[in-house]
Amino acid sequence: MRAVRAVFVGLWSLLVGLAITIKHFGRTTILRKKVTEQYPHEKPVMSKAYRSAIKLIRFDETNSHDCVGCKACERICPSFCISVDGDKVDGIRKKRATHFEMDFALCSLCGLCIDACPTDTLEYSKLYEEVGYTRHWKHDLLKDFNAYEAQFVAEQRAREEAEAAEKARAAEEKKAAAAAAKAAKAAEAAKAAEPGAEPVADPAADAAAEEKKKKIEAAMAAKAARLAAKAAATPAPEES
Amino acid sequence: MPEEIREDDAGAMGESYYLNMGPQHPSMHGVLRLKLRLLGEEIQDAEPVIGYAHRAHEKMAENRIWPMFLPNTSRVDYLSGMIYNLAYCQAIEKMLDIEVPERAQYIRVIVSELNRISSHLLWIATYVMDIGGVTPFLYLWDDREIILDIMDRVTGSRLTYCYGRFGGVTMDVDDLFCEQTSAFLDRLVGRMVEYDKLVRKNVIFIQRSKGVGVIDADTCRQYGVTGPSLRAAGVAYDVRRAEPYGIYDRFDFEVPTLTEGDCLARYDVRVREIEEASKIIRQALRDLPGGLVMPEKPKKKFKPSPGETYFAVESARGHFGMYLVSDGSETPFKIKLRTPSFSNLAAMPKVLRGTMVADTIAIVGSIDIVLPEIDR
Ligand code: SF4
Ligand code: SF4
Repeated sequence: MRAVRAVFVGLWSLLVGLAITIKHFGRTTILRKKVTEQYPHEKPVMSKAYRSAIKLIRFDETNSHDCVGCKACERICPSFCISVDGDKVDGIRKKRATHFEMDFALCSLCGLCIDACPTDTLEYSKLYEEVGYTRHWKHDLLKDFNAYEAQFVAEQRAREEAEAAEKARAAEEKKAAAAAAKAAKAAEAAKAAEPGAEPVADPAADAAAEEKKKKIEAAMAAKAARLAAKAAATPAPEES
Repeated sequence: MPEEIREDDAGAMGESYYLNMGPQHPSMHGVLRLKLRLLGEEIQDAEPVIGYAHRAHEKMAENRIWPMFLPNTSRVDYLSGMIYNLAYCQAIEKMLDIEVPERAQYIRVIVSELNRISSHLLWIATYVMDIGGVTPFLYLWDDREIILDIMDRVTGSRLTYCYGRFGGVTMDVDDLFCEQTSAFLDRLVGRMVEYDKLVRKNVIFIQRSKGVGVIDADTCRQYGVTGPSLRAAGVAYDVRRAEPYGIYDRFDFEVPTLTEGDCLARYDVRVREIEEASKIIRQALRDLPGGLVMPEKPKKKFKPSPGETYFAVESARGHFGMYLVSDGSETPFKIKLRTPSFSNLAAMPKVLRGTMVADTIAIVGSIDIVLPEIDR
């Protein structure tokens, strides 16, 4: 009797399982619910976080990367797969990378190099069709930049010169202003030369102090208003 | 394996003989070699031989600065890599007293529990496959695939995550992540009911796992067995409950226990753990605060003051401990990993003694060992 029961229980459990299998089979074959990505015809879009070989970011302002060849990434890479060199370029303040090679076959995609970069010029590329035919799977990260390098250097030199000129002009102006103030002060002092002992307040400094005071007052008023508003807002829910 | 069978032993052994299982056995998990001494079909003695996947992670750590060990962590146990990765981050944070933003804490819990679910799903899939059921394998991997896709969107990798950083996580999650995660959890509820019918109620599955490979609580204590295997033996020990780390003390969840201690109980405990993990994720998603996940760039180089730090987490396989020893330099003096699979496997000779050779795979599979984690 027990044996017969066992047979029926067993058969029933198999049928229940089979029903589930048939359900899934129907879902995918008869309803044709496609779950496969039609890869070569439809290209997948990689997510924002997708990690592939690192690459240098092209900044809009300079139309180039910002790698200074400091080797911070090379030193922190746990897979020792980055090799980078930098050199001084005439007329530019910062160094420029002259050689940036990365062996993708070794990379463990940890992102430590991206965190370590002081100029934030590294990011993951979204390459996914990566095929390697050799054991050394080198990526030359400067490949896309080499053609623009001369242009970049010229532009950067111009930018830096302009910056320097601007700075010089500002310094000149400041100097002139200071000289004028000094002259005014001297004149003032000469005027008040007779009593002599009392130092005369600088009108420019006075104005600045006035300005500062006004600013602080305004800030304090704003803060008081904010506090009042908060105080007004808080008890409301308590009452209701 | 002629060198192991010595001629002079032959008489003493009577009819017994040696059988090698693995390291390239198709249902052996990873590269484990079991040296079985059999008398007929009965196992008289079993000896696990390990070391085939040894990659010297601990030694590697001693030769590089502290952050450079980060990618190694998730490769120790590739099935719950996120938990291990975050364990290292939390250990370093404990050592250096680094503050972690609230949002990052919650995200860590969500991704860890997702990782736990995916690990358990994979275990169910492979275990059922080990003892003869091929179909559930496909369905469970389908579910696991969704988790991998969700994780891929925020962490950038599917298996060997390097998501944690000292003081936060690398990338913030967005609304889509939360939606996808809750949609997945909703879907999982229905699927688990299906698996219950398909696997748990199947007579063949029950006959092959019920009463097989009983590990009692005393054996667990002797060998340091932890995780679902311990809870299936009736001991409610879970690091998340026993010594809550991170923000686990804020969540309401149960530590499922059963008393049978056999393979079926271990299956049931894991299924219920999937439900508990879903509960934790739902709570974390509900309470997820705003803010930054990484307030400042992670530290590149630091010199912890000399001393030791021990930090334990509950991985999908049990109590995972990280023991960091610093001698005050930029490189670790020693990083010792206490991996749960190693202790769980250590109990195997005792459990296997006296069982049938046909049950070996059912028993060894049921403790969910990951060989790379044992060998490090
Ligand atoms: S991602 Fe990691 S392994 Fe890859 S180049 Fe950067 S530091 Fe090296
Ligand atoms: S850390 Fe950044 S700036 Fe320095 S060498 Fe690497 S990429 Fe260039």
